[in-house]
Amino acid sequence: MKDQSIKLKFLYRIIIITGIFCTVVTILLLLNFWQIQQNKPLDNVALKNLVDRLNADPNNDALKVDIRNLDLLARKAYFNSQWQVRTGGILLLLGAIILAIALKLYHDLRSKIEIPVDLAKNDSIARMLSQRWLLVTIGILFAGALSASYLSSDYLNIYNVSASGNLKTGKGQIEQVKITSATGKASDSTAGKTDSAKGSQATVLLSLAEIKKQSNSFRGPFGNGVSSHKNIPISWDGAKGKKVIWKVKVPKAGFNSPVIWDDKIFITGADAKSKVVYCYDLATGKLVWQKEIGKIPGSPAANPAVSDDTGLSPSTVVCDGQRVFAIFPSGDLVCLDMTGNIVWSKNIGVPDNHYGHASSLIALQDKLFIQYDTNKGGRIMALNVLTGKTVWDIHRKTEISWSSPVLMTVNNKTQLLTTANPLVAGYDTETGKELWSVECMAGEVAPSVCYGDGLVFAGQDNAKLVAIQPGSPAKIVWETDEYLPEVSSPVTSDGLLFICTSSGTLACYDAKTGKKQWENDFGKGFYSSPVVADGKLYAMDLGGKMHILKVSREKKILGEPTLGEKTFATPAFTDGHIILRGANNLYCIGDK
Amino acid sequence: MRKYITIVLFLFAVGYSGLVSGQQRFPKPEFSTGYVTPSPTTPEPRANLLEYGDVLVLVIVISIASWIAIKKRSRRLMLWLSVFSLLYFGFYREGCICSIGAIQNVTLALFDPVYVISFSALLFFLIPLIFTLFFGRTFCAAACPLGAMQDLLIITPFSAPVWVRKTLSFIPFIYLGLAVLYAATGTDFIICRYDPFVGFFRVHAEFNMFLIGACFLGLGLFFARPYCRIFCPYGVLLNIMSRFSKYHLTITPKQCIQCKLCSTSCPFDAIEHPTDEPTTEGKQGSNLKRFIIFGLLIPVWVLVGGYIGSKSHVFLSKANPQVHLTELLIAHPELKNDLNNIDVQTFLTSGKSFETQVKEAQIIRHKFYIGGWILGGFLGFVIGMMLMNQSVFRKKKDYQPHKGDCYSCGRCLKYCPVKADGSVAELK
Repeated sequence: MKDQSIKLKFLYRIIIITGIFCTVVTILLLLNFWQIQQNKPLDNVALKNLVDRLNADPNNDALKVDIRNLDLLARKAYFNSQWQVRTGGILLLLGAIILAIALKLYHDLRSKIEIPVDLAKNDSIARMLSQRWLLVTIGILFAGALSASYLSSDYLNIYNVSASGNLKTGKGQIEQVKITSATGKASDSTAGKTDSAKGSQATVLLSLAEIKKQSNSFRGPFGNGVSSHKNIPISWDGAKGKKVIWKVKVPKAGFNSPVIWDDKIFITGADAKSKVVYCYDLATGKLVWQKEIGKIPGSPAANPAVSDDTGLSPSTVVCDGQRVFAIFPSGDLVCLDMTGNIVWSKNIGVPDNHYGHASSLIALQDKLFIQYDTNKGGRIMALNVLTGKTVWDIHRKTEISWSSPVLMTVNNKTQLLTTANPLVAGYDTETGKELWSVECMAGEVAPSVCYGDGLVFAGQDNAKLVAIQPGSPAKIVWETDEYLPEVSSPVTSDGLLFICTSSGTLACYDAKTGKKQWENDFGKGFYSSPVVADGKLYAMDLGGKMHILKVSREKKILGEPTLGEKTFATPAFTDGHIILRGANNLYCIGDK
Repeated sequence: MRKYITIVLFLFAVGYSGLVSGQQRFPKPEFSTGYVTPSPTTPEPRANLLEYGDVLVLVIVISIASWIAIKKRSRRLMLWLSVFSLLYFGFYREGCICSIGAIQNVTLALFDPVYVISFSALLFFLIPLIFTLFFGRTFCAAACPLGAMQDLLIITPFSAPVWVRKTLSFIPFIYLGLAVLYAATGTDFIICRYDPFVGFFRVHAEFNMFLIGACFLGLGLFFARPYCRIFCPYGVLLNIMSRFSKYHLTITPKQCIQCKLCSTSCPFDAIEHPTDEPTTEGKQGSNLKRFIIFGLLIPVWVLVGGYIGSKSHVFLSKANPQVHLTELLIAHPELKNDLNNIDVQTFLTSGKSFETQVKEAQIIRHKFYIGGWILGGFLGFVIGMMLMNQSVFRKKKDYQPHKGDCYSCGRCLKYCPVKADGSVAELK
C-alpha cells in the first residue's frame, strides 16, 4: 500500500512536470508559427521598399549590397524559425509520450473494479432516439449538399456558353463588338449585349471649342486639369449643408470622378456583384437612369484581383455629348447612349497587372482612346465611337501604369499624351504614330501628364518631375525630385505648375524654369487631382477638405471648405457649380 | 552441395534485384554550396523485397493478435504487440503503406486501366479483411498503427449515448464514399492527405495537420479511439466482415454468469447488454411495422441520395487539380501572366490548347456526375439500412462483444471472473 502511494506521488510529479513542459513548448510553437506566417522573407516590407528604390535608381551599388544583406538576413531568420518549429515539435512529441504513459499508469494504479450496475435498458427507446437523430443529421447533410451545389459556380459551363458565342481570341484580347444598325438590329451576331435602341448611326463631330465648354472627362475637357467655367464657389460646408444644392447617396462605391455634359452628370460604381453606370440630373441630383453592365462575352467569370486603391470602378467615364463610355478593371468596355441604352460593348482583355484596368478614358470626335499598359508591354488603342471597332492599336515597351491619356492640340494637330514607365510620349490621334517620346519615368506611374506654355509635365513618386519640350527630338527642359506626386496629377496654368503629394504638400513651380515658388504642407495627403478653374486652384485632400488657392507666385489660400467625408475623386465644374464625389455621396455645390 | 549453393545464389539474386529495383535510378546531384536535398514528405520508395517483408510482418502480427485474442486471452500481450506495430508500421514505416490507405490504391486500380497496383498494396488491403472474416477485428487490436497510437492514449474514457454513437457511425460511410470517388476519378488520395497521425510518424507535416492530429489524440483521452470510431473508412469494411467472423473474441471463456462486472469495461461501448424482453414485448407490433416501412423506403433513400449526389458533382469536382486549374483560368485569365503560379506555367509550357484542357476537365466533371449518383445512392442505401436496422429487436441473453464494433483489444477479459475451467474467481 505504501509502495503504491510512493508510485502515485512519483507519477503525479512526472505528470505535472511534463504537463508544464508540453504547455510551454506548445505556446512557444504557436508563437513561432505565427511569427513564420507574419515574416515571410518574400513579403518583407523593408526589402520591397529597397527594391522600389533600386528600381528608381538602378545604378546604386550600395543599395544592391543592402538588399542582398537584408535578403540574406530575412531568409536566415525564416529558416531558423522553421528549425525551431521542427525541434519544438519533436520535444513536444517526446513530452506528450511521457505525459501519456504517466497519466495511463497513474490512472491504472488508482482504478478499482466498480460495483456492477444494472445496465439493462429498454433499448427500443434508444433505437428510436437514434433513428430521430440520424434523420436530423441526414437532413442537415442533404440540405448542406444542395446548398453547396446551388452556390457553386460552374465555370466550365460558363466557358461553354461563351464558346457557343463563337469567341475569337487572339493576342490575349477578346474582340467582341456589337453595332446597332439603323434599324436597331445587331449587325454582328457574335456580339456583346446591346439594347434594342435608338443607337446613333453617325456621330456629330464637335469642335474643340464646344468640348472645352464641358467637363466631359477625367480632369475636365481634354484631361488637362483646366476648366473654363466661371463663378465657382469658394466656401461651403458639406456636413452642415451650406451651399449644398443637393446631395445624393451613390448606391455603389467607386474611386472614379464625375463628368458633366450639359445637364447630366455621369459616374460609375461597382461591387463584387455588379457594375453600374449612373446618370444624375445636374439641377436636382435625381438619378435619371442607371445601367447595370451585365455579362459581356469574353469578360472573365470573376472580377480580377484589385488593390484597395483602385477598387472595382477606378476609371472615370468620358462623354462625347452623344454617348458615354465606361471601362472596368476586367477590361469590360461599354458604350451607352445618353438615355442609358447600350450601343456596343466589348472586352479588351484583363490587363496583366495587380489591380485591373485603372486608366480613365478620353474621346475626341469619332475616336475613343485607351491607355493599356501591362506587365507584357503597353498598348494605345483608338476605337471607333460608333462601332467600338479598332481604328488603330499600337504596341510599346512600357510597364504597368494607372495614368490616363490627355489630349493636346499643337498647330491644329491633336496629340494624345501619355506617361508610363519609362516613356512620356505623344501620339498622332489620327494614326497612332508616335510623334515624340522621352524615357524618364520609373515605377508604377499613376499621375497623368499636363501641358501648358509649350511644355509637357510628368511626375511620379520615386522617379522625378520633368518638363518636356515636345518635338522631334523632344527634350527635358528641367527636372526635379523634391516634391513628387504619387497618385494626384500635376496641373499648370499661368506659367505655374502645381504638384500635390500623397503626404499632403502642395508645391508651386515656375513652369518654364522649374524654380520652386512656394510650398505648403496641408497635413492630409492628396489622391484627387488639382484643377484650375476661374483663376483659382482647387485641390481636394483625402479628408474631404478643398484647398482653394490663388494661381499666383505667392501663396494665397482663398478658402478651405470641407465636404464632411473622405474624398478620392477629382471635382468637375460647370458655371456656378462644382460637383464633388465623396466616399459615399455625390454633391452639387453652388448658390441655391 | 552444389544444389544448396545454387539455391542460395538464386535467393541472393532475387533479393538483390528486389532491393535494387526499388531504389532511385539516378544518383542525387551534389551541390558545391553545401545545399542538402530535403527529404520528401512521403517515404522513400521501398525495395520490393522489403515490401513483401512488410506484408510478412503484417501477417505475423495479425496472426499473433488473433491467437492472443482468442486463445491466450491476454490484454497485456495485446498491448505490447500494438506497441510493436506502432513502432514498426508507424514510426519505422512512417505510416505507409497502410491498409486504410490501400482502399484508394485498389479503387484506382479498378477504375484506371493505366494504374497498376503493387501486389503488396493489394495484400495490405485484403489480408486484414480475410483475418477479420475469421477472427474479428484483431487487425484493429494490434496491427493498425493509427489505432495503436490512440489506444495507448486512452486515459479516462466516457460512455457516449447510443444515439450519439449511431449518428456518428454514419460519418465513416461518407468518408469511405468520398475516398473512393476521389480515388476513382484520379483526383486525390484523401485518406492519406488527411491522415491526422502520419505527421507524427514522419515528424513532418503541415501545421494544420499536426493540430488536427493533436486534437484527435486530445479527444482520445476521453473518447476512446475517435478516429477509428468516427472516421476510419476501412473500419466500415472491417465492421461488416467482423459480423460474420466465426472465431470472435468472447468476454467469458465459458458460460456468462451475468455478474455485470464487464458491463463498463469497454471504452468503445462495444459490449452488448442482455435485452430486457418484457419491456419491449408490447411494442413488437409497432417495431415490425416500422421495420417494413423503413425497408420499403430504402429505394426512395437511394434515389434521393443519388439525386443529391449528382447535384453535388460540381463542387465535389473542384477538388480535382485539372478541374480546379481550368476553372481558375476561366475565372481569372490574367493568371496566365503570373510567372509565380507553377501550375499555370506548367500548363502553358505543356503545349496543350486551352480547349483541350477544358474538354478534359469536362470529362472529369462528367465522371463526378456519375460518381455523384453512385455515392449518393450508396449513402442513401446506408441511411435506409441504418434506419431499418434500428427497428429490429434482437434478443440478447448475455454480455457479449458487438462483433462489428469490437476491436478485440481484450480489455474486457480481465473483468470476467469466470476461469477457463468454468470455475468462478472470488471478488476481492
